[in-house]
Amino acid sequence: MLSFFRKGPIGLEHLVSKAIGLLGDARHSFDLATLALLTDTDAAAVDTDIRETDERMSQTEQELRSELVVHISVQGAADIGSAFGLVLLTNKIERIGAQTRNILDLAEAGAHLAGQPDTEALLAERSVISALFGEAAELMAEPDEDAIEDMSRRCEALQAEQQEKIAGYLHSTEPGEVVVPRAIYYRYTKRIVANLLGVVIAASEPMPADDTASDGLSDTQS
Amino acid sequence: MSSTTTEKGTFGTMPTWLRAILVGGFIYLFLVGVSALEAGVKVMGQDTQERLFESVSNPLAGLCIGILGTVLVQSSSASTSVIVGLVAAGAIDIDTAVPMIMGANIGTTVTNTLVSLGSARQSSEFRRAFAAATVHDFFNVLAVAILLPLELATGVISGTARWISERLVGSSGSDWKSPIKQWVKMPVGWIKDFWSWIGLDGNTLGVLMIITGLVIVLASLTLITRNMRELIADRVERSMNTVLAKGNGSIAMLLGLLITMAVQSSSITTSILIPMSAAGVLALRNAYPVTLGANVGTTVTALLAALATGSPAALTVGLTHTVFNVAGILILYVPPFVRDVPVYCAEWLARIAATRPVWAVVYVMGAFIVLPLVGVLVAR
Repeated sequence: MLSFFRKGPIGLEHLVSKAIGLLGDARHSFDLATLALLTDTDAAAVDTDIRETDERMSQTEQELRSELVVHISVQGAADIGSAFGLVLLTNKIERIGAQTRNILDLAEAGAHLAGQPDTEALLAERSVISALFGEAAELMAEPDEDAIEDMSRRCEALQAEQQEKIAGYLHSTEPGEVVVPRAIYYRYTKRIVANLLGVVIAASEPMPADDTASDGLSDTQS
Repeated sequence: MSSTTTEKGTFGTMPTWLRAILVGGFIYLFLVGVSALEAGVKVMGQDTQERLFESVSNPLAGLCIGILGTVLVQSSSASTSVIVGLVAAGAIDIDTAVPMIMGANIGTTVTNTLVSLGSARQSSEFRRAFAAATVHDFFNVLAVAILLPLELATGVISGTARWISERLVGSSGSDWKSPIKQWVKMPVGWIKDFWSWIGLDGNTLGVLMIITGLVIVLASLTLITRNMRELIADRVERSMNTVLAKGNGSIAMLLGLLITMAVQSSSITTSILIPMSAAGVLALRNAYPVTLGANVGTTVTALLAALATGSPAALTVGLTHTVFNVAGILILYVPPFVRDVPVYCAEWLARIAATRPVWAVVYVMGAFIVLPLVGVLVAR
């Protein structure tokens, strides 16, 4: 009952903070899952942590959706655009979580990319993607058009590199046990990068603005 | 993503302190309206008053007029304030006012029932929304069904209210020096002088003053509600999230009470619950106690109106509204074996309405317009 009288995080700010927290959990899961695949970390050891994080994320997603309904019911439809954006980005964070679980499943299935010639490169790329989580969280809190554009360029470049590698593995003559885990891993990380960019875009512009200027021509011309 | 923290309302974006002062001004205007209404009735002769209000002396007619009047203005706060003003003016007595007050309780539930009809196209959403709306209807109808006969036979509700009123301000026979009445005396005098200056007197003057008072009451209540909603929307949101998280009936009821006292409208509070229930975010058994709290919270307006009149009888009527709602909770919610009765009734009706939405429209028209009209005609 005292919640009525207490001051505290309000409205959309509170919901955005919650979504940022959700993204933080997704990053934690990503870091652990990729550790299990790319280093000598025991997959079973991180499995429990990732499952608990997963449950926490599901709980947070439920709460976020409920609180969005409450927000719109109480505050009216003025924030409908932002609320829609929050729903979208929650879905995208959920997908990131799903891709992260896929990476863990790959490690638990026996794929092991530690101590390989390309492990350093894989770990370096892992760090880049992990940093993207932090950048996305900052942009969710404080959208910046220029920073979003810059992140967009880097994500697209990264996805292009990953796609090139996947294409290379598809036509590679190396043994299956070498190329298959890598192709699958790059497919998952490519989706994660795409969804991270999607999170940032949903936070800043949930509905793409239609800037088509017809000047009424379509009204009079058949 | 940035949140919308600007407060839009009557005058667009406005600092909180300024909006709070504005609300204070609207509350003052509301008190002026009630006082003007009382003054207008007093200007009319005793004979005219008796002719106008003799039909409501029948309890059934009074109950139905209470329902119809509240449905018309979509606000139990407005209708109960008018009833308080009529009692203060001596046009009706406490015994006549009590069934009208009970009717106002029923009439106000039409708003959230209408809101629930917005989900009619989605069957499962509509079932949940309609149940959340009609649980309020069933509680009020059951409360009236139990407490009105009891009141008519024993006077227990009005007697309790009278006892409280006497402890606060003395007996009904004397006027008490309400400071609020002194504050609103001058503007009411201006309204009377204005209509007199135009050349009106007698019953015509009385009618114009009543209409002026009514318009001021309705307008000021609307403005109070709109601005208070802006002022406390964030607190309401936080409280609703608490209700969802904790699910405790007492907390939910207290929050319903607080929110309604703050926004001065039970319809606002209960209408917020409808989309939340429709979405499945708020369970019916969690929405129900919020509704009951709103029922009690809305009685504050009639008490405020009574303070503007300086009439112990008016205060008794205001307190009757509160006592009636509290008694309803004690009889229909506190005992665990009856708590679910309004819930089961609402779920049953919602199942029917979800299958054939036309029955929902029939229910609204029948329960809130046709039956009360028939009741008035039969009781006359």
